[in-house]
Amino acid sequence: MTPPDAGGWPPADGPLDEADLELLAGIRDLFQAADPMPADLPERIRFSLALRDLEIEVARLAAEEDQQALAVRGPEQSRTITFDSDSLTIMIRIDQNRDGTARVDGWLAPPERRDIELKTGGGSLDAASDAQGRFAFARVPQGTAQLVVRPAEQGASGSGRSVVTPALIL
Amino acid sequence: MMSVDEGRSRAAVPAGRPGPPTGPDRNARMAGLMTAAAGGSEEALGQIVTELTPLLWQVARAAGLSSGDAEDVLQTVWLRLLSHLDGIRSPASLTAWLVVTTKREAWRVRAAGRRHVPADQDWLAALPDQGPGSEDQVIVDDQRRALWAAIGRLDQRCQELLRIIAFVPRPDYAAVAAKLGMRPGSVGPTRGRCLAKLRALLASGPEGSPV
Repeated sequence: MTPPDAGGWPPADGPLDEADLELLAGIRDLFQAADPMPADLPERIRFSLALRDLEIEVARLAAEEDQQALAVRGPEQSRTITFDSDSLTIMIRIDQNRDGTARVDGWLAPPERRDIELKTGGGSLDAASDAQGRFAFARVPQGTAQLVVRPAEQGASGSGRSVVTPALIL
Repeated sequence: MMSVDEGRSRAAVPAGRPGPPTGPDRNARMAGLMTAAAGGSEEALGQIVTELTPLLWQVARAAGLSSGDAEDVLQTVWLRLLSHLDGIRSPASLTAWLVVTTKREAWRVRAAGRRHVPADQDWLAALPDQGPGSEDQVIVDDQRRALWAAIGRLDQRCQELLRIIAFVPRPDYAAVAAKLGMRPGSVGPTRGRCLAKLRALLASGPEGSPV
């Protein structure tokens, strides 16, 4: 128990007391209710951390363009997303197939032959980029997906690290 | 001048909700999880994610990110941790590293200025509902409303600091406050300017008039 302060408010340099801790608990409850974390976020993060790569380089989302709004392209929806890491830029275009799957076309800059994995909820898909840095996954199931670009062949200039994107929803 | 109504600030908290786990048990458990995660245990890392992501969500949102940007930033932060886990020595340092890295990544997104202006940031406008309740609930609701209003009258820096600290496990307060460079307002061994100000606002009632 803390005695009430005589004649004033508790000073900033006083020790934390029970009332402070309970106020903090009240603040936590309010923000938890006002702005809750999406319930599935930890699961999505766990998905994106499940990697067999020992050395990774994180590619950050750099730009996203949703062309659905342009509406002049017809019923098909197309999204273009760019990721940047220290050594690589990855651009992908996502188109919806008629059968409900998605097609992912990608480009690496600088252009290089690399093994590329697309992790999905239903397992992994493998592809490789060509000398121009192009790669494609023709039919990707809807849901969470994450790109992993493996290091260049030994002897090439690669850093030996895999470039990993955040998981996105296709 | 009125003295602080201790009972009022105390009762502003809905009773019985568990806070972030605290104490030596948590520290030992987290330290064990960190060792296992550094050794490659996905399960251990997953448990750390489950425990600390709610805090990091508040950090990202307090920095002004939209929900979508906050989700992207948190993924980036956790992915970056994979390369840093070996060098982090204690649960308190881990919490501090995650909070600071989240803030930095959030600044990065905001500085780029390319992303849409968040439309879902007006959290202060609406007091979250607690649902229907008893007569006791009415009192608690009044207290929640008073606390919410008082938070809204704090400066932005204090709002952000208290919002973050409220989700930090208690043994980690000092490490997080030090890393955030928020010493003057911060909560640690001492109450700090922001909590003192909040208590003064609560004690003086709406718009400074007596309660």
